[in-house]
Amino acid sequence: MKVVLEVSNLWKFFGKSPVLRGVSFSVREGEAKVILGPSGAGKSTLLRCINLLIKPDRGSIILDGEEVTAPGVNVARVRSKIGFVFQHFNLFNHLTALENVMLGLIKVKGMNRDDAFKVARESLLSVGISEDLWSKYPAQLSGGQQQRVAIARAIAMSPRLVLFDEPTSALDPELIWEVLRVMEKMSKERMTMIVVTHELGFAMKVADEVVFMDSGAIVERGPPEEVILRPRNERVRRFMERMQYVYSLK
Amino acid sequence: MSLDKLLDLVNSYGSFLLNGLLISFYLTASSYLIGFALGVLISISRAYGPGFVKALCQAFVELTRGTPMLIQLFLIYYVLPRVDLALDPLPAAIIAIGLNSAAYQSEYLRASMSSISYSQWEAALSIGLTKLQAIREVILPQSIRIAIPTLANELIYLFKYSSVAYFITVPELIYVSKFIGSRTFLYIEVYSIIAVIYVAFSIAATEAFKFIERKTSIPGLRISARL
Ligand SMILES: Nc1ncnc2c1ncn2[C@@H]1O[C@H](COP(=O)(O)OP(=O)(O)OP(=O)(O)O)[C@@H](O)[C@H]1O
Ligand SMILES: [Mg+2]
Repeated sequence: MKVVLEVSNLWKFFGKSPVLRGVSFSVREGEAKVILGPSGAGKSTLLRCINLLIKPDRGSIILDGEEVTAPGVNVARVRSKIGFVFQHFNLFNHLTALENVMLGLIKVKGMNRDDAFKVARESLLSVGISEDLWSKYPAQLSGGQQQRVAIARAIAMSPRLVLFDEPTSALDPELIWEVLRVMEKMSKERMTMIVVTHELGFAMKVADEVVFMDSGAIVERGPPEEVILRPRNERVRRFMERMQYVYSLK
Repeated sequence: MSLDKLLDLVNSYGSFLLNGLLISFYLTASSYLIGFALGVLISISRAYGPGFVKALCQAFVELTRGTPMLIQLFLIYYVLPRVDLALDPLPAAIIAIGLNSAAYQSEYLRASMSSISYSQWEAALSIGLTKLQAIREVILPQSIRIAIPTLANELIYLFKYSSVAYFITVPELIYVSKFIGSRTFLYIEVYSIIAVIYVAFSIAATEAFKFIERKTSIPGLRISARL
């Protein structure tokens, strides 16, 4: 199947300390890849490198056959092809839910307001945001609603790939469910996505591959059952034991 | 000070006063708008521009804030003619006061820009907006809203302080009232009238900006310490 994203030997330093140490992986069309790992492992840094919010120091990122880390690349155009969903939603505070989704369509895709409205409407409905919420401002929405609008904002641009950075970490449990359900639906509709999360249940159900990062490197990868239930690496096993304690009902 | 004298004064010099008031309005509004437009440009350049532009803007702001407005006015009115750039008093005053206000307004806007969280900026870039679009569509609309109370202050301040134009013979409110005073010797009466005008302007401007603030406030968004 077609490869959408190829990350090769990615290095990033903050000062002298390496935060990414030669990360390589690729993502196929329609794949859902889940990245697990302890705090400070470099997961957010990796996602930020992929949509060019941070410039890696070494290595390459190839999106749809184009090396986007090459000098002279139009970064705004590349970013418009990659959706990003943030931990704290990051909706534009001064715009309504609808306007949040329409902004990129109008300013980046150059659509007129009518067309932008049609696309925005479809995206909002697909994440379960009904019409009565469209004219609400972010501060008037619950966290779960805000995050679903943020997802709508990302998918309205018809991205090649959507990156999620702990999209449910700032939410109450019930709201976590409504956001994860939307993400599961996206994956079923074959949206290509990379999800950084601690939601192991979601990873088990949705991930095609789980990647475990520690100290800036990938230390284990494989199908979710393998990495989550039968990890080989000692560091991963310890992490999963702790997660079992937090999440297991037995 | 008697009512008769006041009425007399308004009768014979009312149109003088009105003219002075209109010139003061014109002077204030023009220099305020110039100050706002330049202030926006300067604050953006200082926050997002390349190094040398930043340095240039900072130097302008420091120099302008560090010297009395009167000196700036004199420089523009009396020194520019030496390089064949003679200006009439009113345009000279508008430019001088406008530049001065630009320095202050840019600082107010810069402060409110820095209060917009970095995540708004990241989100704007992440949907594919260019830096300029992100500033225009996301950063500015939010930071200008935050700056509204200080921008109101600046307008009120400018209306009073634009009277420095008196020193280069712009016939604004103070100039006119001095003239009337010297003719009639009713200084106290004249100055009382214009004091009332200044206060009325200040109240009207405050209310107008409160109205704008209400109209543009973002529903649900709580700003700490709204008084
Ligand atoms: N802008 C920065 N400047 C300096 N150091 C940074 C910067 N951003 C991240 N770091 C450091 O890089 C390391 C990796 O950070 P990163 O945010 O990528 O981790 P993470 O895996 O996303 O962790 P978390 O689960 O806490 O979000 C951390 O040690 C962090 O302190
Ligand atoms: Mg992180």
